[in-house]
Amino acid sequence: MTEKEARALLDQVLVAAQGREVEAVVGGGVSRLTRFANNEITQNVSENRVELSVRVVDGKRTGRANGNDLSRQGIERLLDAALAAARVQPEIPDLLPLPGPQSYRSVDADDSSTADLDADGRVSEVRRAVERCVEAGVTAAGIYETGRGTIGDYGMLDAMAIANTRGLFAYHRGTRAAFRISALDGAASGWAERESWRASDVDGAALADRAVEKAIRSRGAKPWDPGSYTVVLEPAAVADLLTDLSWISLGALAVQEGRSFLSGRIGERVMGENVTLRDDSFHPLHRGSPFDAEGIPTRSTTLIERGIARGPVYDRPTAAKEGKESTGHSLPIPNTIGPLARHLVLDGGAGPPEALLDGIERGLWVTRVWYTNVVDPMTATLTGMTRDGLFAIENGRITHAVRNFRFNQSVVEMLNRVEGMSEAVRAGGVVCPALRIQGFHMSSVTEF
Amino acid sequence: MRSLAEQALDTARKRGADYADVRFLETAREDLQVKNGQVGSVDRSDSVGLGVRVLVQGGWGYAATGFLTKDAVDACAAEAVGIARASSGLLQRPVRLAAEPPHRAVWASPCVIDPFDVPLERKLDLLFRVDEALRRVSGVAIAEGFLTFVKKRQIYVSTEGSDIDQTIVRSGGGYSATAVSATEVQRRSFPQAEGFHQTRGYELIESIPWVENAPRVAEEAVALLTADPCPQGERDIILEGSQLALQIHESVGHPTELDRVLGMEANYAGTSFLTTDQLRVLRFGSEHVTLMADGTLPGGLATFGYDDEGVEAQRWPIVENGWFVGYLTSRELAHTIGESRSRGCVRADGWHHVPMIRMVNLSLMPGQGSLDDLLADTDDGLYLETNRSWSIDQLRYNFQFKAEIAWEIKKGRRVRMLRNPTYQGITPRFWNSCDFVCGPEAWKPWGVTNCGKGQPGQVAEMTHGSAPARFRKVNVGVGYDD
Repeated sequence: MTEKEARALLDQVLVAAQGREVEAVVGGGVSRLTRFANNEITQNVSENRVELSVRVVDGKRTGRANGNDLSRQGIERLLDAALAAARVQPEIPDLLPLPGPQSYRSVDADDSSTADLDADGRVSEVRRAVERCVEAGVTAAGIYETGRGTIGDYGMLDAMAIANTRGLFAYHRGTRAAFRISALDGAASGWAERESWRASDVDGAALADRAVEKAIRSRGAKPWDPGSYTVVLEPAAVADLLTDLSWISLGALAVQEGRSFLSGRIGERVMGENVTLRDDSFHPLHRGSPFDAEGIPTRSTTLIERGIARGPVYDRPTAAKEGKESTGHSLPIPNTIGPLARHLVLDGGAGPPEALLDGIERGLWVTRVWYTNVVDPMTATLTGMTRDGLFAIENGRITHAVRNFRFNQSVVEMLNRVEGMSEAVRAGGVVCPALRIQGFHMSSVTEF
Repeated sequence: MRSLAEQALDTARKRGADYADVRFLETAREDLQVKNGQVGSVDRSDSVGLGVRVLVQGGWGYAATGFLTKDAVDACAAEAVGIARASSGLLQRPVRLAAEPPHRAVWASPCVIDPFDVPLERKLDLLFRVDEALRRVSGVAIAEGFLTFVKKRQIYVSTEGSDIDQTIVRSGGGYSATAVSATEVQRRSFPQAEGFHQTRGYELIESIPWVENAPRVAEEAVALLTADPCPQGERDIILEGSQLALQIHESVGHPTELDRVLGMEANYAGTSFLTTDQLRVLRFGSEHVTLMADGTLPGGLATFGYDDEGVEAQRWPIVENGWFVGYLTSRELAHTIGESRSRGCVRADGWHHVPMIRMVNLSLMPGQGSLDDLLADTDDGLYLETNRSWSIDQLRYNFQFKAEIAWEIKKGRRVRMLRNPTYQGITPRFWNSCDFVCGPEAWKPWGVTNCGKGQPGQVAEMTHGSAPARFRKVNVGVGYDD
């Protein structure tokens, strides 16, 4: 949907509102995904979906209705449903009026050749990757996904355009491409991924080569005892842990409710001096939306600066409680979750991850982690598994594969023990480096 | 609805599809939340669209659109055929579907009171009464409650002649109280974490004693802040039904999905230790362990007349007296284990996503005795209630769970409350350590509404019936001071 089309659609909603205070949001687009396994294509899909979300504000009451019937009658039904929802509820004392017009930084994130890439183009890239795996005698599985618009994983839709009856209008459209590949040799496996805003950055064959190398190295994994190890976490592993940290700790509501490690500790040293963590939608490796779900401009926000807690991200309701301005990280209002930092950037160092091996007598190299979940929210302790390439580091060299571990590790504690970091890259939706961590808790071994 | 679905089918056929099916789906959803005395949200969502699934020269293609003009539907069907043609260029062997007789049927889940006919005021009133009861207990920092209602009507047509009109209504809700100190965040939920849901109407909501349980739930959340921590070491544990339901889900349900077993989820959710050579060979659990897959379970969240590739709902064993005997299958994969018919496990979470193997309802069959009988039979152990956290490896061996609360059992009696109870194990060893499953009087169908799988990710719901059960010598207290 172009800006002109989006504006025309949202204008219809505002006109149909007949003087009521209304916010209208449109999200969606096209998402295409080719999935392969056992060296063949197993699924190949395309989705074309646009959804309209209408919120009516009636004094201190508000209701929302969502739908994909974009006709005039459909719009009227959404307005009626939203108004009905607003009218039946008690007042929300903290409810804020809709924001007025805002100005936004422009983000160059739309690549027409990515948007136009068809099934033949995706299959051709996949074929190159599969051929590399077949040549190496391993089995390929993975995806090649492209899209334009705001269809996210699990079908979640973000705002592509927002308008409200106070004159606000915001529009952002981007493209995306992601190639993820596993190379499998029995229980031994390797993995690689590339995420970008444009398909021309994707090289399926090169990714296959990385995955194959890891799969072959993963053969004959030896069991090591659980315990604390110096580890090198590749960026994909770091990204997974930081994403969970964000969900449970880095939004202002979690801090205000006292369930974040940041609660009562703003201004204090909470991590190592070498740790600076930001949320930055404008980072060239993110190219995210310049506004949040209410149309408030998203600001680059420093969360941790050289180990000092600077503050969480805010939406308007949480900011109002502290007399601050929103940082532009709202989810659709109202909600019970609060604001979220979804474009994390952990500042890195220089050089490749392999440079972190030097001087490690006995440690572990972690390609990525899997199925992380929260054990203890106040310490941001997570559990999860290593996956697709866990290797022994002995005397500064990777020597052999190690049977996968379950870990239980506080992310805050971990970020107090960073001994080195590589250059930052984009992995798993986060811009971050590989980290060398001292004393990472591996708590039990699995069977492979 | 039907004419557009048939048009899509016709276009797919004319464009060269060897097989096609079309799902035209209308979904309505209502979400209400109340948090700390304020409305969290009152949202209504409606979605309508169709998805076209085709086979061309043995390759799959799927396209979906929410634009329901004749031109857009034709374009969607043509795109599906084009995608399938591209897929057919990279195949090891053409897809072949297990036979299923064409069905012409109308099916609806039982629903006495349509939840969409119940006024929003009445639903909000219930949530506010719960909220008030929770916050009346001193020390509760966060009180949250929600209700969710979903109605789906789907027309399914296929080139094989099936024409199925299916309507499914589900209702559910839940609440939690959270207490916070400088070092602890403790939560208690009712009736289970993530709420209790069934394919029933509003009569389900009216059958549950919501407000009556709120004081106990809130008091337990506050008491957990100062309860003793769960000890570390090997202990006998008793899992309450809803905790056991998630154990079934993660360590029995997912590893028996045949697509996963055959490597089709390898890049995302992983594979499975239950490889096909283990079928009818592996001693999965003790003789107390029998698990039935069941697409017909009354009230089950994965209960339907027909799955999303037109296969009639069925009931069959997955584990029988401890022996591993069955998989969750599809028309595409049934032949790989020598079966001639799919078990009917293929579903999508909307018109926009392609159907794939999803767990149907999967339940641990009841044994004998009440929870009191089981506690009385336990000399030294822990009783864990309500899930708080879960994790399992990509082959489904090594799991770690955390419950909201545990009670230490000594000589058959609860002697003290314990906070942060975690346990960890290896799936087949764990199920082989089961020596007591309570009887039908303690058995309940617990729902799961947040099951993620697939690329692009899809969320499915299903039910796991279970009664409390005991497992011997399990590693507890993991994750703290490891």
